[in-house]
Amino acid sequence: MDFRPSSAQQLLISTAREFLRKECPPERAQQIALDPLGFDEALWRRMAELGWQGLLVPADLGGSDGSLLDVILLMEEMGRVGAPGPFVPSAVVATSLLLAAGSADQKKRWLPTMAAGERIVSVALAETGNTLEIDRHGRLNGRALFVEAAHVADALIVAARDDGARRLALLPADRPGVTRQPQETIGPEKLFEVTCDAVSLTAADILDRQDAGFEAFQVGALARTAEMVGAAQRVLELAVEHAKTRVQGGRPIGGHQAIQHACADLVRDVDASRGLLYAAAWKASEGEPAAADIAMAKAYASEACLAVARRGHQIFGAIGYCEEHPLHLLHKRILAASVDCGDVAQHLEHVAHAIGLNA
Amino acid sequence: MEFGFSPAEQAFAEEVRAFLRANPLDRFALDGMDAGYGSGAHSRAFMKALGERGWISMCWPEAFGGQTKPMFFKLVLFEELALAGAPFGPLAGSWQTADAIIDYGSERLRRDVLPAVARGEATFWQGYSEPDAGSDLLALKTEARRDGNDYVIRGHKIWSSHAGIATHGLVFTRTSREARRSRGFSMFVVPNSTPGMDIRPIRSLTGGVYHYEVFLDDVRVPEELRLGPEGEGFQALLNGLDSDRFWGRFYKAPALERVLRRLVDHANATGASRDAGVRRRMASMAAEIAALRFLFYRAACLLRDGAPITYETAVAKVYADELGQKLARLGMDLLGPWAPLRAGSREAPLGGDISHAYLTSLGHTIAGGTAEVLRTTVAVRGLGLPAEPRRA
Repeated sequence: MDFRPSSAQQLLISTAREFLRKECPPERAQQIALDPLGFDEALWRRMAELGWQGLLVPADLGGSDGSLLDVILLMEEMGRVGAPGPFVPSAVVATSLLLAAGSADQKKRWLPTMAAGERIVSVALAETGNTLEIDRHGRLNGRALFVEAAHVADALIVAARDDGARRLALLPADRPGVTRQPQETIGPEKLFEVTCDAVSLTAADILDRQDAGFEAFQVGALARTAEMVGAAQRVLELAVEHAKTRVQGGRPIGGHQAIQHACADLVRDVDASRGLLYAAAWKASEGEPAAADIAMAKAYASEACLAVARRGHQIFGAIGYCEEHPLHLLHKRILAASVDCGDVAQHLEHVAHAIGLNA
Repeated sequence: MEFGFSPAEQAFAEEVRAFLRANPLDRFALDGMDAGYGSGAHSRAFMKALGERGWISMCWPEAFGGQTKPMFFKLVLFEELALAGAPFGPLAGSWQTADAIIDYGSERLRRDVLPAVARGEATFWQGYSEPDAGSDLLALKTEARRDGNDYVIRGHKIWSSHAGIATHGLVFTRTSREARRSRGFSMFVVPNSTPGMDIRPIRSLTGGVYHYEVFLDDVRVPEELRLGPEGEGFQALLNGLDSDRFWGRFYKAPALERVLRRLVDHANATGASRDAGVRRRMASMAAEIAALRFLFYRAACLLRDGAPITYETAVAKVYADELGQKLARLGMDLLGPWAPLRAGSREAPLGGDISHAYLTSLGHTIAGGTAEVLRTTVAVRGLGLPAEPRRA
């Protein structure tokens, strides 16, 4: 057993941290976050130059041939700075889906350009709010909710009912009949309602495997967990720094046990979340069945990292309530990640089943 | 990054499981209460069985009769024993004391005590706390006065687990009044049979006896029973407490996992498993237990690699104890009106183990460093927050 990243992974971490410090300073992350349609295309392209969007893509499809663990460590760094952009839907979930279930033609058409940062593919896989259905003429009708970054996506992978079965289709976003409406959230994530009105589908749009959604969703859950852990780690660091430097009554507030004990709980929440995350990601990357481990990691981190964010607000006091302070964005980032790729209830139900509770 | 177990570790785990299959636990007589930490009851018979297999001394150097197995073998043994609910109560204390004797014990301690530890015959109680020295251990009053080649110990120790049934006490004393606060302390390994010791049981709120108080009335011990140099006992104590947080709690996660499995069976049998709230609480508990396990494994890796530990064991210990309380509370909730029935009652579900766990868990956030003291340790030593002013 070994919790330490390999030297190559350490290099990835330090490169990512340095790059994000320079290219995605808090003011920039803030600006994109507060713009309802914000998207930093230049940053997205520079990330692609580092091979990030291609981490899960094999070299022969234009990718950088990384591993799932690389993605997890990178997501932690992106979580730390609240990096904007549709990395999880496009570079993690849609990429995993295409690799696992795309036709040879779909893979060749999409993966190299996605890895290069030239095209973005988002996903509409969540069952909640999804009424998409393929009618007997092969046309797609209905709507999907919570589709991230649909406004900048070149295509969407949608889950739709087809005569009782669930079908996965890759749909170019500009196909006639597709409309995208922003859902307006409290956080930095750009979510859309995607409506399909008699959108024509061809056989070439349908993915080869219809059961691959769950696996891709699990990889996405791991990425979101890593994002939460990174953001919570940052909240912890900021809160401890504040506790050391904020002086009231002649001494730093961190000299009081009430604040010390709160900080100690933040450490527990972050470390425990990270342990579950790494263990689950390692197991998945070894090809072992890891669904229950991933469900535990996501459910746990969602609760624990949100607790860190809320406690962080208490430690910061009034200043943390301001829009210009970074705390609320980290908090909202965790909030958004906690409900994407399965919320707590959904993952806990998976765990309940896995530990043998009869339904 | 690597989260699996080596083939040798897996083979050892299988060896332990085979031993447990071949030796049903009800064959081992129990001599002392299970205090709920996860290591089960005190059983000399079980300790001797572990000794016969060479498992108590397996990680010691060969010069001391060991097999220099890697530290992780101890973790494997702990996990398998705790998952089975085995009575290995004194094992962690035996390991810690033996390690201290190997590191800085006298020839006499090495010769007389180590072989008995290896056989599972010698077990230890900790004589640290005193009536007026709890969280503030350095306020202790027990003195060891030098008299020729002997020391004469006089004082009053309390909250010593299994002191009445163990064979030796680790008695923490003041050997000099002149030295500054953290100096002038010495630790002794005192056989229970030494004249002048009066060991009295303290009945706990469980109805059973786990703790004892020990009156030392001019207890004369030869200097070879001092553990480490005179006046350096405080460091030995800190090492002991640090190590206790890890070794005395490592088995909590597998032990809680065992309890949760039993509660899952119970919930399935009663139909409570269909309740959405129950499912959610139990699933959440499973995730927390897994998280706890990895906190301990992370600390284990740091210990193995000789990396510095500032807060890691303190975080893990507090979490272990608070999670144990939470699971006991969940268990009591599941049992409803049956919850308060005690072990031995005809109707007690799960053999009364849940009500017992509920009560014993109350002591865990106090023993071995209170949750409050340890959170302060995490904040000050781990995060570098300023310490509160201390009295001189």
